[in-house]
Amino acid sequence: MVFFNLWSVIHWYIRPFVKWILRKTTRLCELQRICYGDKPGAQRTCNVENSLKLSHTRDVIEVITFLDAVVLEKRFIPQNFDDVLYPSINIILRAKQINTKLHPKFVPAFRKCLQQIWSYRQLIDDIEELRCTQYDSKNSDHEEKLLKLWSLLQPNELLEDRITKQWQNIGFQGDDPKTDFRGMGLLGLENLLFFAKEYTQVSSHVLSHSQHPKYGYTFAIVGINLTSMAYYLLKDGSAKTYMFNAKHYLPNIDLFHRFYCYLFFEFDKLWIESKPENIMEFSMIFKKFENAIRSQLSDPASVFRINIAIDII
Amino acid sequence: MGLLSILKKLRSNTERELRLLLLGLDNAGKTTTLKQLASEDVTQVTPTAGFNIKSVLSSGFKLNVWDIGGQKKIRPYWRNYFENTDVLIYVVDCSDHQRLQETSFELAELLQDEKLRGVPLLVYANKQDLATALPASEVAQHLGLHLIRDRTWQIQACVATDGTGVKEGMEWVCKNIPVKK
Repeated sequence: MVFFNLWSVIHWYIRPFVKWILRKTTRLCELQRICYGDKPGAQRTCNVENSLKLSHTRDVIEVITFLDAVVLEKRFIPQNFDDVLYPSINIILRAKQINTKLHPKFVPAFRKCLQQIWSYRQLIDDIEELRCTQYDSKNSDHEEKLLKLWSLLQPNELLEDRITKQWQNIGFQGDDPKTDFRGMGLLGLENLLFFAKEYTQVSSHVLSHSQHPKYGYTFAIVGINLTSMAYYLLKDGSAKTYMFNAKHYLPNIDLFHRFYCYLFFEFDKLWIESKPENIMEFSMIFKKFENAIRSQLSDPASVFRINIAIDII
Repeated sequence: MGLLSILKKLRSNTERELRLLLLGLDNAGKTTTLKQLASEDVTQVTPTAGFNIKSVLSSGFKLNVWDIGGQKKIRPYWRNYFENTDVLIYVVDCSDHQRLQETSFELAELLQDEKLRGVPLLVYANKQDLATALPASEVAQHLGLHLIRDRTWQIQACVATDGTGVKEGMEWVCKNIPVKK
């Protein structure tokens, strides 16, 4: 407790002082030092986010509040970036007295960080909405997606009926998948669908593993549990490493799906390598997997890619 | 007071550990019940592949609750968890009329098992908030609970998603634990 108090005192009083010294000696503000000194990606963006969060400058606080409000209105999307970010960046440039003529590299780097930070916050909102949408068998859109999932995963087998034991072949629990999505709602289905659609080869490879007579597991159910894991990693901020290090994408629903596909591929690999006795070892292996992913994500330099080479075997 | 008697006193104060086994068909609400017992968020439950286990403190007991997946493929593994069970908790989705027979059959199988002989049975008649849910008394009849002679049993109407009735069931459990030496 004492230590904690001491730490907050240091943070509150010493930090501005250290910043002031650095500013005088380097003639750069903290945001500039981060943007010039840190590698682009998770390292830089997380440090910028932290610096903004700790700022006492009124203008900076107002910009943060404004951007959060844009997220709340679901307007933090690429076509609005110019309208939203231009004034925000200008306010910060003025508050921090940054001369863009002397520092032409700062704005593009800083802008990218802002895009990533608030796209991530927007993504949490969007994902929450999908998760809260319960699967509804009376909704033709939901039903269509479910049937699409079947045809993508089992292209050579016709579904005999909407309610049939065949669903168990792709790892649902019973005759009707509708009750299996539970707390993950439509997000669980969308994740599976993306995996089957965008990574057709990988997903059919993973599905065939799940049907292994000895090391088999329930593909869809495990998938829904992975949705839950991806969701928690997103919400507690751990997924930032993955999202901010994705060079060509901003955090959005597709990138979340890609993150999920990565987890699925990696989990399958670990499962097969573990040679489990039966499905009852799932909880243990799943926990082990989560710990491994968490430790990977805690290193901001980690880059995540599905190693497709294995797929060819 | 000597050191030994202090130690003895400390020891008698430690809670007794109990092993509760939570079974039922898939989608009955076992995991939701488990999370409700542990006062955790119940809105983000996923189907159980394998099992979950949680320890809960209740009326001076440390309850180790084992929640085993209810999917048909997993049911053959239920047996592996029977040993040393103090109380069997069976969860029924009262709105799932189509599978009442299936759930009665599974329960009957459990009650015949040697390893579970004499183990008290608590049935949670779950999902009472749904309009189509059968009342607990009718579910008891379907399950043939009144024919059970070799153990104490209780049926408790509940809504696992909001916690209604879950605590009452647990109070019964704590009162009806078989005395162990």
